[in-house]
Amino acid sequence: MKKAGKQQRSSILHLFIYGLSFLLLWEWLRPIPTVTNTGHIHVFLWFALFSSILIYFRISLFLSIPALLAGSIYSLHSIFGENPFFSREGGLETLQQFLAEAASNIQLIFSWELAGLTDFFRTFLLFLLLALICYLLYFWIFHTKKIFFFLLATIIYITVLDTFTAVDASMAIIRIFVISFFIMTLLHMLKIQTEERAIRKKDKLIFSTAWMYTLIVMVLIATSVGYAAPKFEPQWGDPVPTIKRLVTGQEGGWGSGSGSRRIGYGDNDERLGGGFIQDDGIVFTAETEEPVYWRGESKNVYTGHGWTSEPMEAESESIFENAVDYYMFHRNVQMEEQRVRILMEHVPGYSHLFYPGQLIDVERSTLEYEIDGRKADDPLAFMTDILSGKVRAEGPNPNARIRLAEYTLTVQTPKYSLEKLKNVSPEDPENIRNYFLQLPDTLPERVIELAEEITADYDNRYDKVVAVEQYFSRNGFEYRTEDVPIPEGGEDYVDQFLFESQYGYCDNYSTAMAVLLRAVDIPTRWVKGFTEGEYVGNTDDGNRRYEIANSNAHSWVEVYFPEVGWVPFEPTQGFNNRLDFEEAEREQNHAVNTPVESNEPEQERPELDDLMSPLENDAFSDYEGPSGGAAFGTGTDTSGWLTAKTVIISIVVLLMAVIVYRRQSRIQNRYFLLQYRLIGSDERFGTAYRRLLRLLANEGMPLEDGETLREYATRVDRMLNSDAMTSLTKTYEKIYYGGRQAEGDWQKQKEQWERLVNALSS
Amino acid sequence: MRSSRESTAVTEPHVYRMIENVEKVVVGKRKEIELSFIALLSGGHVLLEDVPGVGKTMMVRAIAKSLGAQFKRIQFTPDLLPSDVTGVSVFNQKTMEFHFRPGPIMANVVLADEINRTSPKTQAALLEALEEGSVTTDGETRKLQEPFFVMATQNPIEYGGTYPLPEAQLDRFLFKFKIGYPSKNEELEVLNRVQKQHPIEQLAPVLTLEDLINLQRKVLEVYVDETVKQYIINLVNATRMHRSVYLGASPRASIALMKAGQAYAFMQDRDFVVPDDIKYLAPFALSHRILLSSDAKLSDMTNERVVSDIVAQVNVPVGKEAAR
Repeated sequence: MKKAGKQQRSSILHLFIYGLSFLLLWEWLRPIPTVTNTGHIHVFLWFALFSSILIYFRISLFLSIPALLAGSIYSLHSIFGENPFFSREGGLETLQQFLAEAASNIQLIFSWELAGLTDFFRTFLLFLLLALICYLLYFWIFHTKKIFFFLLATIIYITVLDTFTAVDASMAIIRIFVISFFIMTLLHMLKIQTEERAIRKKDKLIFSTAWMYTLIVMVLIATSVGYAAPKFEPQWGDPVPTIKRLVTGQEGGWGSGSGSRRIGYGDNDERLGGGFIQDDGIVFTAETEEPVYWRGESKNVYTGHGWTSEPMEAESESIFENAVDYYMFHRNVQMEEQRVRILMEHVPGYSHLFYPGQLIDVERSTLEYEIDGRKADDPLAFMTDILSGKVRAEGPNPNARIRLAEYTLTVQTPKYSLEKLKNVSPEDPENIRNYFLQLPDTLPERVIELAEEITADYDNRYDKVVAVEQYFSRNGFEYRTEDVPIPEGGEDYVDQFLFESQYGYCDNYSTAMAVLLRAVDIPTRWVKGFTEGEYVGNTDDGNRRYEIANSNAHSWVEVYFPEVGWVPFEPTQGFNNRLDFEEAEREQNHAVNTPVESNEPEQERPELDDLMSPLENDAFSDYEGPSGGAAFGTGTDTSGWLTAKTVIISIVVLLMAVIVYRRQSRIQNRYFLLQYRLIGSDERFGTAYRRLLRLLANEGMPLEDGETLREYATRVDRMLNSDAMTSLTKTYEKIYYGGRQAEGDWQKQKEQWERLVNALSS
Repeated sequence: MRSSRESTAVTEPHVYRMIENVEKVVVGKRKEIELSFIALLSGGHVLLEDVPGVGKTMMVRAIAKSLGAQFKRIQFTPDLLPSDVTGVSVFNQKTMEFHFRPGPIMANVVLADEINRTSPKTQAALLEALEEGSVTTDGETRKLQEPFFVMATQNPIEYGGTYPLPEAQLDRFLFKFKIGYPSKNEELEVLNRVQKQHPIEQLAPVLTLEDLINLQRKVLEVYVDETVKQYIINLVNATRMHRSVYLGASPRASIALMKAGQAYAFMQDRDFVVPDDIKYLAPFALSHRILLSSDAKLSDMTNERVVSDIVAQVNVPVGKEAAR
């Protein structure tokens, strides 16, 4: 009776530990929405809870497997289904869908076309994985009473996420530590209790209330001291860029890949959205006459999730004596020339130029750069992408990594004539229309309708553009960098921003503006670069010095005006592109440009249209081809983590781990037998015997303190009901204490040997 | 050297014949007889601590008779003088010379009965004889006979009228053990045997003194591995570290344990010592060589418990890779 009560008590404790480990599992699920595109995380949590309960009550497999299946179908329904589960076509529909999807997806798995697996089935696989993990936790706590591996894995998981992604785990790590302390202490206490009961040393229960209070107080004190104590600043710099460079062999900051990320200038804009972390790491220092936006490149293809572009490059080395052959502005636009100097930091490092306005010349004499990490003076060629305006340096070896360290540029910044902008003809050149009016077929109709609605009252292009630019601030859109959603499934990035979230940061505003304008047939492109940065002082020659950090990374919009060129606009709230700062002449509080009366162009230059046309036949014909060499790093595409492939591999690995864990002693014994059968010899008798001792210790029969081998052998033989151990021990004594060589013992003893190991296995 | 050790096996029956011979007289005390023979084979001496009448004298007489050895008995009394033990020079008026009359110590097997009844001075006279195998009287050192085996008995110290043995002297005994009362059946057997005639009268020698000396030599050849020596040292060291011990066992204890181990292995027809031998003998060889601290004495600790504690705690060497 008393014993039964004790059993009861310890199983409550088990349950408590199991509950704690479930909290740890929660910590695994918690960051998933931040890191990937997975949503509905609460459904996964409920499912995990459900399977934990099933496993805890040790419901037989015949019941629990159907229950788990039903649970996962219900959960799938709550994620994907539209009607209530118990309505006429609710649950049944999901069930039918499940059966159909399962059939087709299993076929896909067998043909190893993992990329083709549907979201529905992937989600199901994730449920399966969760159920398996719940079982593993149960096994760890109730059978082996060891969970350290899981705790360690949790901590590694969280720290890696915190370091490399936008997940902020500073509270999570505290929670994990508290939970881990409890689990480990309680499990250890359980273990001690079991051992003591086995040797009947103590009949008293050690889990007194006082014990628990002591534990709680200790954990609380340790945690609060740890939390309140002063901590060192990180002793090393942020290792992420270095690691990334080592791993990918590429330079560059974090791209605007999907998922959340650190802010910075990257190359991959195919999936926009998600929040980001501020990063004040300096990218470069610039010396200019006035604050300017630093343009890196632009993109022209909107995919529904982000932007891409195919470079169309023209080599421009030969004309550095005169000018770079890429023009943003029509020749009759009034320009102001100035020199800017840029000093790049070592990290992240870029191989292309950042410049304001129109690039005229790169001063070769001031140019400093590194090739593959070493300072070099090999001749550089500059490749200008005439679609995006990206000016990329290329060395003698096109594959070498180039980092421009320092350069001085001659640039021209335009002054626009407002009157001219308002009176341009609506007819765009054909190649402009071809490349800068593209919209995906999936773009929802309501975006186009909204664009028409916004611009309906205006008759000229300039007013239409300004109407769209100001639409956001006038309609309560909010600037926010955290919790910005990522479009899921077939959702459109712009549509989500305009109609659902209505908050976001520069990528949302600029993309939305570019898309809205394209919807009313106004050519636009999406521009990436940096804002003017932080003013830090003057140079000796009177220029202003700015520090541009990762957090200055920015995107905006350029709109094409016939006979003027590409005019930048700034739709993002709170930002101000002071490209040509003349407040007085501005109209409608227009934040970007200050149009002025057109003067005679200062410089003779070819027509933009003319320039585009000769390239049309060669460079443009490669448009469908593979992507050209992007010069800097691709962003982390974390959505790839939850692919069907990784989920399946994880399941297989977990299953194997469970099998190996449960049968490890048998596997070890088999291995041991095999090993010594193969290489067994007299010389190895001693080693083999000692291995046997270890094996026996693993089986719960360790040599006790002060016990001699003979006593031990007698004990083991009594337990295993054999005489093999005594016989082996006699031989071992002869070798080890008798100082004699084993002669022919191996052959004699082999049989004993196998008998003993087999007795152990059974 | 290795090959010579192979031949020791044939000597084993001699030892067992002797043990059986002694068992004709002493009933049910096989373990104690074995211990006595171990001491005999390794040239050590034995201290028996027991109440009178349990067969101490009978055992030592039986051993002497089985060997055909010269047996002397010294009954220690409070007024016994050292010269009563070692012998004395008397003046011969005929030859006008001093003539040495050897004392009872000049024999092969000596029973020193109730050794703690005599004064420390007389006890000290035994000292040299036990360790050196010689006695010195009137400035002349006389070699004792070989083999020389002393079996001393003492009454439990708690009894009245006793002088506790000095530490130095206790250390010179290889073993100290008790004989104890026989069981009821054994006692019945004793009565049956002595009813007509005491069996000791009919006991015949089974071994000559030369045989015994040969056996003693062979015992020295029994192999003791470094690991076993290490185990002995660990055990003895542990007595010095033990918190209940005021004075631990001396290096002489290590030597004694090793020699006893050799003899024990030899008796079991084994030509090398295993830790089991040492572990078995340690309580008999060590418990009289340590002094307990006064705290331990007050808390009812005994020497025997300290030694069995140590034996249970000190790990036996089993090979470097083996897991414990």
